[in-house]
Amino acid sequence: MTTFRQSLKGRFAVLGVVVLVVLGALTARLWGMQVLSGSTFAAAAEGNRIREVTLPAARGRILDVRGRSLVTNRPVMAVTAQATVSEDATLVARLSAVIAVPAADIATKLASYKQQRLAPRLLKVDVPLQAASYLVEHSADFPGIAVEESAVRVYPGGSLAAHVLGYTGEISEDQLGSGALPDAGIGDVVGKSGVEASYETVLQGDKGFRRFEVDNQGRVRTMLAEGAPRAGRDIRLTINRDVQAVAEKALADAIAEAHRQGFTKAKAGAAVVLDVNTGGVIAMASAPTYDPSVFLSGISQPDWAQLNAKSSEYPLNNRAIMAAYPPASTFKAIVAMAGLQTGLIAPSTSFNCSGFWTGFGKQWGKWCWNHAGHGWENLHGAITQSCDGYFYNVGKRFYLAKGEKLQDFARTMGLGSKLGIDLSGEVSGRVPDIAWKKAFNKNYPEYQQWLPGDTVNMAIGQGDLLVTPLQLASAYATLANGGRVLRPHVLDAVLGPDGTASVVTSVTVVSDPKLSASNMATLRRALVGATTVGTGRGSFAGFPVSVAGKTGTAQVKGKDDYALFACYAPASAPKYSVVVIVEQGGHGGSVAGPAARQILSKLFGKKYRTIHTVDVSR
Amino acid sequence: MRPPIAQMVRDRVHGGVVLSTLALVVFGGVMVWAATLTMTGHVAMVQRQVLGVAVGLLALAVMWVLDYQVLKAWTGPLMVALSLLIISPRIPGLGASVAGATSWLQIAGVRLFQPSEPAKLLFIVVLAAAIAEYGGKIDTRRDVLRIAGFAALPLALILLQPDLGTGLVFVAIASGMLLVGGLKARWFTALALAGVLLVGALFGVNALLVSATGNTDGVLIKAYQVDRLLVFVDPTRDPKGAGYNLAQSKIAIGSGGLTGAGLGMGSQSRLNFIPERHTDFIFSVLGEQLGFAGAVMLLALYLALLASALSVSASSRDLFGALIAAGLISMWAFQILENVGMTIGMMPITGIPLPFMSYGSSFMVTNLASVGILLSIWSRRYGTTTT
Repeated sequence: MTTFRQSLKGRFAVLGVVVLVVLGALTARLWGMQVLSGSTFAAAAEGNRIREVTLPAARGRILDVRGRSLVTNRPVMAVTAQATVSEDATLVARLSAVIAVPAADIATKLASYKQQRLAPRLLKVDVPLQAASYLVEHSADFPGIAVEESAVRVYPGGSLAAHVLGYTGEISEDQLGSGALPDAGIGDVVGKSGVEASYETVLQGDKGFRRFEVDNQGRVRTMLAEGAPRAGRDIRLTINRDVQAVAEKALADAIAEAHRQGFTKAKAGAAVVLDVNTGGVIAMASAPTYDPSVFLSGISQPDWAQLNAKSSEYPLNNRAIMAAYPPASTFKAIVAMAGLQTGLIAPSTSFNCSGFWTGFGKQWGKWCWNHAGHGWENLHGAITQSCDGYFYNVGKRFYLAKGEKLQDFARTMGLGSKLGIDLSGEVSGRVPDIAWKKAFNKNYPEYQQWLPGDTVNMAIGQGDLLVTPLQLASAYATLANGGRVLRPHVLDAVLGPDGTASVVTSVTVVSDPKLSASNMATLRRALVGATTVGTGRGSFAGFPVSVAGKTGTAQVKGKDDYALFACYAPASAPKYSVVVIVEQGGHGGSVAGPAARQILSKLFGKKYRTIHTVDVSR
Repeated sequence: MRPPIAQMVRDRVHGGVVLSTLALVVFGGVMVWAATLTMTGHVAMVQRQVLGVAVGLLALAVMWVLDYQVLKAWTGPLMVALSLLIISPRIPGLGASVAGATSWLQIAGVRLFQPSEPAKLLFIVVLAAAIAEYGGKIDTRRDVLRIAGFAALPLALILLQPDLGTGLVFVAIASGMLLVGGLKARWFTALALAGVLLVGALFGVNALLVSATGNTDGVLIKAYQVDRLLVFVDPTRDPKGAGYNLAQSKIAIGSGGLTGAGLGMGSQSRLNFIPERHTDFIFSVLGEQLGFAGAVMLLALYLALLASALSVSASSRDLFGALIAAGLISMWAFQILENVGMTIGMMPITGIPLPFMSYGSSFMVTNLASVGILLSIWSRRYGTTTT
């Protein structure tokens, strides 16, 4: 009767061991999960439970110098979607029909971004109310899709000052990855260029948040915490809306005038108005321009291709700071000042212009623009008539003098390096010298030698010298303001919540060329002569304010001549410097001079009637 | 002369079995309360579970009083009853299927119970009777084939329902009972080999049928069952679908830490992240709310119950009783392993509930009736054997 029990003993032991192994294995695993890795799982549970919604902050407005709106905001509805929506083709197709975005575009947007994989993607802003309410009412049929409050930029002036203001758009993957905007997330609208980009951190404000506890369906159970958004600060620019509008019109008119005069390739140009005493930019125009509102709801591929096509002359580029041109005869004022400051010439220094200059021998002979020659003339006459022959001689004196005095002076006038304006994309221009030429031609030893002709060419603003319209305007401001190179800026002040200026841009001296008062007076008289009896007289005949200015006509290989005009006014107590450049516009005195007068007319409240004048100087 | 009361109690009551069972029943009731706390119908579910316990205790008493040896004489009718139970959900007018997984027996539209639960118990009794015939030594090919055939019939029926979970429990039960019943090791190996071959053939034929019929839901093996197995192999697969349950369960248990979030607390339970949290995944709720301490307490109670059952088995007056107890041990141990194991990613997900814990009255009644049989075996350990 106990026999079977005896024989079963071993088998019970096996069963008991199995039970112990099972319970032991479970216990060991639980120890690992709950005690050793507990915090990891606890974090995952928090991730399940907590949903945070960011509340966008209203973007700061951009105002002109008198507080008039250049950029404001308009509240709109935006549609966002989780990236997983792309897995449901029929859902994408239905959504595409509702928000009128092609299914392929939706797929592209959902597939974008390596960072923040789980953040919702912005599909469309400024969704019509009807579509937005349809999505809200049928939210059960559109899982993963949300309608959110948002705001888009409004441009009361249309394309006015587009290059200065810049445009906004959804933050790019590069911007997100760069770490420059640590508070930014997917779908945020950020400044892409111009002031919108320069002052992004001021304009953007601080996002708010709402933290919810949600269930497994994502339904909100309770709100755990809330932080109200803080609106971005408004900023006031030095730009005057009215002057800006005239500057843009003057540039457009100048291009039309160039066409009228047979320079049909003229399409692009720039105009800059500076306050000579502060460096504030009163107007900055660049042609061709663009409409920043095309970026509002995500720019379409064809629009973007159009804006970046060579044939459309790159309308997004702000030529006032991003393009560098040969300054041509407008540079003679700086050469003259360099000569006076270094003592290489005096106001009375005279040369004879025969029309063909042979100062370095006949084989290196050079023509003055006036082949008949200007005869004997002093500095005043040479500036007034824009005589090349005179400045070839000045150039020769610089070449023969020790060192690179002309280049050194040009640099102290702010040329050849960025002035540091508060807009991105500024280029340095170029002041050529021995070292530059050697480095530039490093693969062509036969071109590395700095030649006498290089200095002579530079003395008439040609050769390898390049300046931006802003640098030229700044240099003329320096000639006008007592000799200080000021940092140009477009920001006047950051405004506090009550509208008062809380941060005001201060005047910053970039460089001080230490111009003597008598040299400035000499040059001022010569430049006034240029607009009254010289090459600029056609443009300024009868103009009631005394203008110290200089025409320029740049020769560019393979292109029609570029028309330039640079000036400051009033000559006696300078307030403004103005530069106009029209690419392939022909002669400065015919095309750029009248445009400068048009702008000065606005600045001084004078009437402007269209001027047709022809100037053949260079 | 009647023995004194104290002697009677000592003879009939196995302290370990009774105390661990009571503790488990109370623990289970508390956990069902805590798991359903934020569910609609919370009160009704708790009431239904209490009712299940009441009926179960009645069943326990009946089985305790009943001489288990009587069951041996009923093997034939019990075998018929077992088969009928298994196929009853398929009988028109009697069956009802909930969510395609659990089958119910219903008469005139009233749901009575899940037949798969009492079927486990009947299977144990019937198989115990069959194995006991061999007196603890099964070594000839003829005997092995007869036993295997006997066990294979209900197993085949349950797999055809299809109810893979209960089928696996049957296999575990049979294995434990054959071990105690004296099956030699080499025959275990042979049977295991045959089983593996059979399962392989099943998958193969299923794949063939799927491609032939184009029925992507699966023919012999359901597509969701294949999914569960694949998720077990690679938990990152399909995190929103079949892998979701596992991931959420692991998060719940892991986040419980040493002492848990507190009874009725825990975001995974409260906010519905744990699926089926009052039935198959009740251990996830326990893990989150009571932590490692609570989980170990439960496993300790199971150890007490299984150890007590083992002592009952070893004390049985006959092989029949020893085999029944061994079958119950196997059943519980496997269900604990499978249920707890699936919630922590050690076992693939199958629809097997956790004994005394999971919500469900059929299951509770079956478990308590099983305890009744254990006590019946214990009470009669000194009597004379009938064989």
